[in-house]
Amino acid sequence: MEPPKIWREKRGKYLAMGVECSDCMIKQFPFTEKCSACGSENVKEYKLATTGKVLHFSTVTQTTDEMMGSTPYLIAIIELDDGIKVTGQIVDCNLNEAKEGMDVRMVFRVLARNGSEGLIRYGYKFAPI
Amino acid sequence: MVKRNVFIIGTGITGFGENYEISAGKLASKALTRAIENTKITKESVQSTFIGSLVSGSNSQPSIGANCLRESHIKTPHVRIEAGNASGAAAFHQAYLGILSGVFDCIAVVGVEKLSDFVNAGIVERILSSTIDYQWEFEMGATLTSLYAILTKAHMKEFQTTKEQLAAVPVKNHKNGVNNPNAQFRKEISIERFLNAKRIAEPIGKFDPATYCDGSASVILASEKFILQNKDISSKVPILGSSYASDSLALHHRKLLTELNASKTAAATAYKMADIKPVDINVAEVHDSYPIGEILAIEDLGFFKKGEGGKAVEEGLTEQNGKVSINTSGGLKARGDPFGATGIAQIIEIVEQMRREAGKRQVDSVNYGLTQNVMGTGALTYVNILGEEEVKK
Repeated sequence: MEPPKIWREKRGKYLAMGVECSDCMIKQFPFTEKCSACGSENVKEYKLATTGKVLHFSTVTQTTDEMMGSTPYLIAIIELDDGIKVTGQIVDCNLNEAKEGMDVRMVFRVLARNGSEGLIRYGYKFAPI
Repeated sequence: MVKRNVFIIGTGITGFGENYEISAGKLASKALTRAIENTKITKESVQSTFIGSLVSGSNSQPSIGANCLRESHIKTPHVRIEAGNASGAAAFHQAYLGILSGVFDCIAVVGVEKLSDFVNAGIVERILSSTIDYQWEFEMGATLTSLYAILTKAHMKEFQTTKEQLAAVPVKNHKNGVNNPNAQFRKEISIERFLNAKRIAEPIGKFDPATYCDGSASVILASEKFILQNKDISSKVPILGSSYASDSLALHHRKLLTELNASKTAAATAYKMADIKPVDINVAEVHDSYPIGEILAIEDLGFFKKGEGGKAVEEGLTEQNGKVSINTSGGLKARGDPFGATGIAQIIEIVEQMRREAGKRQVDSVNYGLTQNVMGTGALTYVNILGEEEVKK
């Protein structure tokens, strides 16, 4: 958990900002300086849709120390209403209540803790609507 | 079709498992030394050493080749090649290109990993996070196991693949592993044990993944010219095709989760190089780090139609001397998975089959054999095709 890295990625992870190409109008995430579809550098920052639905999901029971505090938790591939797909955790939901096709909204939560005195890493997760 | 000019002339392997008393460099040296002895060439005739390794060990020595060669009393230039779980196959492919190009005539390839060094919980998960999208999958909470669980569920949903069909993969591989003296686990496990085990990431159970362990494997590659100059070389197995392909690192960027596109693409090129079809392959070593890995592999490599892989395994079509013998070595599941060493161990199994030296694991027909080594969830796949041994003893 290096501070420069957390700082560098803050707009993507904290604000869920991607890009929209001003030439071919394709929206993409994560942020890129060149459109991955047409190669244009004429891209502008774009705020992802904040609601979507669960495409696939599973559970995580074993991971690194900084995230073990949250296990077992649900992990999912979400398709947002603007068509962009992302991977994120499903929270505020019992393990046996998650369903494919379930409507979710983006929420801002703690992702990982580096011990009791280290940095806390934040980012988006998803909660059922 | 590529000219037959690159041959495997010798192999060396250590037993896979836990080796607390030995370092990664020494482990690699054991395999390399055995390969050179097996080949009956002098140490001085090796022109370069390519080492495949994901993390090597806990001695913080990424250029593990220096340790390995010092231990082996060999002086060649060396380079470490990293391609996640497919590091072994990556080093092998680079060595293949080195000989094919005409720059080298004899190269040693070594795959090594020393994972029992990492005893604290979560460290291997961190190592494996480098094989998936670290920023946008792992840091958001996903792990390799949970992503394989998603791949498994997608296949079950699309093709009605059952838990029994999935469990048939490790059951068969453990049965094969009994006859492999280098395997970590040499005992059969009943299908009930797989089905009744605790789920670690639904539908993946506790006993489903291959285990991370220690091990090293080495092969010596040579050109036709080198073989003609060295009369003591008793065997040569031709490399007929060697290719690799990539896919997006993150699963969420892929259109289909019911196939590994990189496997299909790499295989198509390798088949073209060898000028053969999937049906010509008699024996294959595929990446069964999770049961769905083997089912996707046998479909994507063209042995069975898409969606029929689970059924094929359940019906015994992939058993030794079935329609195509898959993972006669026991696969990653029974042999154990020291990441960098796995890709080379797969090649050694096929070399032994092509030489008809596989003992109880020997398959009857050995015209062509194939290996498939996968990084992460299929962001990179290597496919190699070997032909029948050309020098009869």
